[in-house]
This record gives sequence, C-alpha cells and structure tokens, in this order.
Amino acid sequence: MTGRVIVITSGKGGVGKTTTSANIGTALAKAGQKVILIDTDIGLRNLDLLLGLENRIVYTIVDVVEGRCKLKQALVKDKKNPNLCLLAAAQTRDKSAVNEEQIKTICEELKEENDFILVDCPAGIEQGFQTAVAAATEAIVVTTPEMSAVRDADRIIGLLEAKEEIESYKLLLNRVRPNLIKSNDMMSVDDVVDILSCELIGIIPEDTGVITSTNKGEPIVNDEKSLAGQAYSNVALRITGEEVPFLDLSEPKSPIAKLIAEVKKFFAGLLGKE
Amino acid sequence: MKDIFTDLYKKVAGFFQAPSEKENVKEVACNRLKFVLMQDRTNLTPQLLERMRSEMIDLLSKYVEMDKEALELNFAHEGESMALMLSIPVLRAKEESEIQAIIEAEEKAKMAKEALEAEEAAEAEEEISDEDESPEEVDAEVDVEPESEPEEVCGCGCEENEADEACPCGDECEEIEEDVIEDAPVKKSKKK
Repeated sequence: MTGRVIVITSGKGGVGKTTTSANIGTALAKAGQKVILIDTDIGLRNLDLLLGLENRIVYTIVDVVEGRCKLKQALVKDKKNPNLCLLAAAQTRDKSAVNEEQIKTICEELKEENDFILVDCPAGIEQGFQTAVAAATEAIVVTTPEMSAVRDADRIIGLLEAKEEIESYKLLLNRVRPNLIKSNDMMSVDDVVDILSCELIGIIPEDTGVITSTNKGEPIVNDEKSLAGQAYSNVALRITGEEVPFLDLSEPKSPIAKLIAEVKKFFAGLLGKE
Repeated sequence: MKDIFTDLYKKVAGFFQAPSEKENVKEVACNRLKFVLMQDRTNLTPQLLERMRSEMIDLLSKYVEMDKEALELNFAHEGESMALMLSIPVLRAKEESEIQAIIEAEEKAKMAKEALEAEEAAEAEEEISDEDESPEEVDAEVDVEPESEPEEVCGCGCEENEADEACPCGDECEEIEEDVIEDAPVKKSKKK
C-alpha cells in the first residue's frame, strides 16, 4: 500500500486548518480508508482536543524523532473509528524539534500501511510550514472569504507552486456565510476562486455546530444533520476521486425563509427593475 | 399628495428589490484585495517603487510642470492583465520654447558625454592594439580558442613580452600570457 500524503495549510491562523484536518480525517476513516493525522503544530497542539483524544496521548512526534519510542507506539487510535490514528505534536517544545528529513522518514514509514496521511500545518510561512510541507505531494489550502485570509492563501499558493514535490493543491473555502454573500457584504465563492485562480475542493458553510462539536471533542462530520459536516464529508469523497456537486448554500433552508424569498421574487417581478 | 404616494411606492419597491443602491462592500473588498495581491505578486519593494516614481518625475517634468507630491503611481487590474497606472496632476503646461531649451541643453550634455566616451574608447583601443603586436607573430602556432574571455588580459604591464621571455611578475603571468595570445584573432576581427 502506498498512502497519499496531504498537507492542510493556510498561512493565516484561525481559518480552520485543524478543524478541517480533524473532519476530513474522520470522514475518510468513516468511508473505510486507513488514515493517520499528524499534528505538526509543535508547541501549540490542538488536533488532539478536536478529536477528543487529549487524555490518551503518551508519546508525541518529538518522542518518535528523538528515539524515545517506536512510531507505532506514538499513534493514538480514535475513540470511535479504529481506521483513524493521531500522531500528536509535543506541547513543550518548538517547531525546530522536528526537521524536514525526519518528517519525510515518518511519512515514508506510515505510507506503507495507510491510505492517507493528513499533515496539519502550523500557521505562518516559516520553518514549521516548510517542515509540514516537506513530505507531502498534495496540499489543501484552507481560507475564508475574508481579505486577510485570501491574501495569505495567495502567498501560500505561491510557495506551494515553487515546491517540486507538491503535485497538486486545491482550495477549501471555509466559514462561508450565504446571507452575507447575498447582501453583497462578503466575497462570494466565485470571487475568491477567481482571485486565487485555484481549483476548489470544498465549500464549508459557517456553522455554530462547529463550536459545540469542538467543545465536545467530536468532529462535526459525525453529526449527520449538520450542513458543515455534510460539506466536509463531500470533501472527503472528492479526495477519494468521486464527483460530488457542491452544496447549494444560497437556497434558504427553512420553509418560512423559502416562502419569504418566493414572495420577494414575485413582487420584484411585478414591479420590474427601476 | 402625489409625492407621498411616490415615496411610499419607492419604499415598498426598495424593500422587495435587490440592494442595488446599498454600498457594495463585497466589491470594495474584491477591488482592494486584487490591488494588494498585485503588489504582493510583483516583488517590487516600496523602495523600488519610490525609485521608479522619482525617475518618472525627472523624465516627465521636462515636458510639463506638475504637482510632484500628488503624482500617483499604482498597479491596477484590467480584467486578467495588470496595468501600471500613473496619475499626474498638471499644474501648468510648459511653453514650447522652455521645452526646446531643456531638450537642447540635454542634447548638448549628451553630446559632451558621448565625446568623452569616444575619447576614452580611443585610448582603450590604443592599448588593445599594443597588446596585439606581439601575439600576431605566434598566431599560427597557437590553437585558436575564441571563447576565452578578453577580460583575462594580464594587468601587470607585461603584455608585450614574448612568449619565451621571462615575465617580471612571475608564474601567475605565464598562464595569462597564453590567454592574451589566444585572444588575438578575436580582437583583430573586431578591428576590421
């Protein structure tokens, strides 16, 4: 078996790299793939919290690199899905604790027995980013429809393009708010794709459920009713090569909202455009 | 009375219609972002931009009198391509005679400069022709390698030495002397 190594990166912090890693990883594992999640945000680890595994971590990636344990000993199995394992970052060290060669060695070993190795990249474009990207051949660039996030994503895309090992990179647009887009208060999906000229792999709507699911330590893809969870599951399917249409977020969900929209449309038609 | 009705109509119509009159924040964001990304992608530092700006001011102020402080030099996007936009507030158009005077002064300066350069070049040529004298004799014996760099001419003043004569500057020069010989055919062709 030769697994695919995908880095999840963004440049800017707080746009949802770790949430995306946790959810895509969980969704892939649910679909029957063998997945390893690697947290490379050494010193600021959080992936363990999002998966609810913070109490089970004994060894970290730094322990593996420094020879205190074997790689297999450091892999923490997910509570629900045995297909999913986490290789946690150390909290007490910094980014220099693991170098590019070491992460390549780790990924080479993991590739043999797994379908996917997802690398959660730290924010920024410094050494931590370089290390996280070193072993990957694919990348998912996470951004939100905000100016600062898009600008940073553009920078990241520039850096990824310069890397020969990266064969493809795709854009994941997170925290999309259809209402704000409709009232022209937020850049639309098309605007962002147009500006970055990068292929889309997912559109995730803003969802308060993400906050509660993080608090519970359970990725939102486990909530079948959640729209964000559904969107993340679709991303996982697209990664495995299936063609899944993007969710239509512009359609109002509740019947009352639908009715109001219909009435508005009717009157707008009557009045004509002034 | 009629006004009240038209007002009411406008308000009702405004509620049902798309917010076209409202400030389009999205457009603002898109334009600002495109603009800033263009600058990010050009790799032109603010220092380089400033240099470009001041060079442009020097050039343009020959022809028009302008507000140098208010001159704007920016990147803009036109569809897919990028444009460099220059906005120049003109204070006063210069008289034709003024412009002519500047151009003439410039031409004079240019000619003076050219004359100086020509002089320097002539001097340099003389030196080169001196170098050529001795190698010409050994031309046939040496393999011609035109790709060797002419810059490698020995700087120690021993160029005129014959190949088998001892050079005052020692071993280092012997190697270089060969280069001088090899260069000879190239230089000759240049002279012709």
